[in-house]
Amino acid sequence: MARRLDAALELLDRQLIGNGGTLAGKVDDLELTDPGGNLEPPRVTAILTGPAVLAGRLHTPVGRWLARVAARLLAPGQDQLSRVPFDQVEAVGASIRLRVAAGQLDAGAGEARVGRLVGRIPGAGDAA
Amino acid sequence: MRKLLEIALGVLTAIGGFVDIGDLVASTETGARFGLGLAWVLVVGVLGIILYAEMAGRVASVSGRAVFDLVRERLGAGVGLLNLAASFFITLLTLAAEIGGVALSLQLATSVNYLLFVPIVGFLVWLVCWRVRFEVMDNAVGLLGLALVVVAVAVWRAHPDWGAMWHSATHPVVPGTESHTAYWYFAIALLGSAMTPYEVFFFSSGAVEQRWTRSDLVVNRLNVYIGFPLGGLLALALMVAAALVLEPRGIDPSHLSQAALPTSLVLGKLGLALALLGFFACTSGAALETALSCGYSVAQYLGWPWGKFLKPVQAPRFQLVVLASITLGAGLLLTTLDPVKLTEYAIVLSAAALPLTYLPLLIVANDPAYLGDKVNSRLSNAIASAYLAVLVVASVATIPLMIVSKAGGG
Repeated sequence: MARRLDAALELLDRQLIGNGGTLAGKVDDLELTDPGGNLEPPRVTAILTGPAVLAGRLHTPVGRWLARVAARLLAPGQDQLSRVPFDQVEAVGASIRLRVAAGQLDAGAGEARVGRLVGRIPGAGDAA
Repeated sequence: MRKLLEIALGVLTAIGGFVDIGDLVASTETGARFGLGLAWVLVVGVLGIILYAEMAGRVASVSGRAVFDLVRERLGAGVGLLNLAASFFITLLTLAAEIGGVALSLQLATSVNYLLFVPIVGFLVWLVCWRVRFEVMDNAVGLLGLALVVVAVAVWRAHPDWGAMWHSATHPVVPGTESHTAYWYFAIALLGSAMTPYEVFFFSSGAVEQRWTRSDLVVNRLNVYIGFPLGGLLALALMVAAALVLEPRGIDPSHLSQAALPTSLVLGKLGLALALLGFFACTSGAALETALSCGYSVAQYLGWPWGKFLKPVQAPRFQLVVLASITLGAGLLLTTLDPVKLTEYAIVLSAAALPLTYLPLLIVANDPAYLGDKVNSRLSNAIASAYLAVLVVASVATIPLMIVSKAGGG
């Protein structure tokens, strides 16, 4: 199962797709675990996603501020952090396909909250 | 037969949808001040947008991914975010300018102050983004925009001296009344009006909205290779009309009505009516495109569901960004900021931001992981790289020129 990847190139900033085909955010950061062996490379144990995670990864103050504003305005979840264990990843390609649905991610809670707001506008539930 | 109809419709809407408030203002102003001395820039700009729009359409058709989706992947989170912030700001300014253009067209038709129309236009733009199917929206405004052909008819009916016009277009000189810095400032403005970044965001996102696949590559090429040059001819007609009518009279256009003046002088009331219809249609179309582009770019950067093919509740954050952008754009106009001035700044800043959009697009268009065998040919890479060099120079020169020429006023 273990596979060598250039994590920065093949995983970071890629599109996440939930098992229903819904877009589920980007790979904003990765959780790495040191397997303990001397020469063993670290393992990617989880994908982290959500504007709050993104804010933590940016180096410039302006970038962090922008991402935090985005997190507060557009993804108001409890901790705005979604951790997807790597065994829930179905395929790694141009996009990352997950075994879980987009709505199950914590960051999806933000979408649901905005959805309730937007859903009050007439016609929100109908196809255009 | 259906395919043929689809292609014809695509080409016609590409022509009618080419011109927006940026072209109306830039072509008229440069024609009135520099005659045909800047016509060559329009040719350069139209060729540039053809080159890169084709790439954007091809990437979207083959990989199913729109431009801003790939900006994040290629440039990373930090640079991508900077790019998003700059592109979003410029697209928002352009959106405000387009709403202003629609409101000014309505003012010209009704003599009611444009500020009264701004909230109404804003609401209608949102309503179309919210409820109208993508194809219906795209085709309706594109076909109505064809009314602008009346400007080309006016030029032809004015019986200009074609030989002299060709000579002044091919031997550009800076008129004695104008400074060199103003000349180059307007050259950049004209380049920005032809190659505005939102056009690429919208074109590639639109290809995804319409579910283009490899089998639509021919449609993509024909749209771009036939529709865009003919649309560019309409922008050129606006410039020629201004050069024929406004320049000799020393009129320096500061209002949209002067863009319609040559047509109404040559063709009378009916000509004026058609020109106004054309202005209304092309600015409405561009208002919709820029409003959606604001939503597309943010949603694609953050990986959210987006698009008009989804029900609004399925892409609520995308819809929220579109709504907020329209509100901000209309609000900006209600501060009584002059829409024509706003347009000038929007196109000049667009020119400064062009490499941000075009560099990642060029990189992806060469990546077989996305495009397989449909990557750029050597020839298109050579031309695209030359363009990128020009765009970088223009981008660096923009702000200094803006200061030295006092935004073209000096």
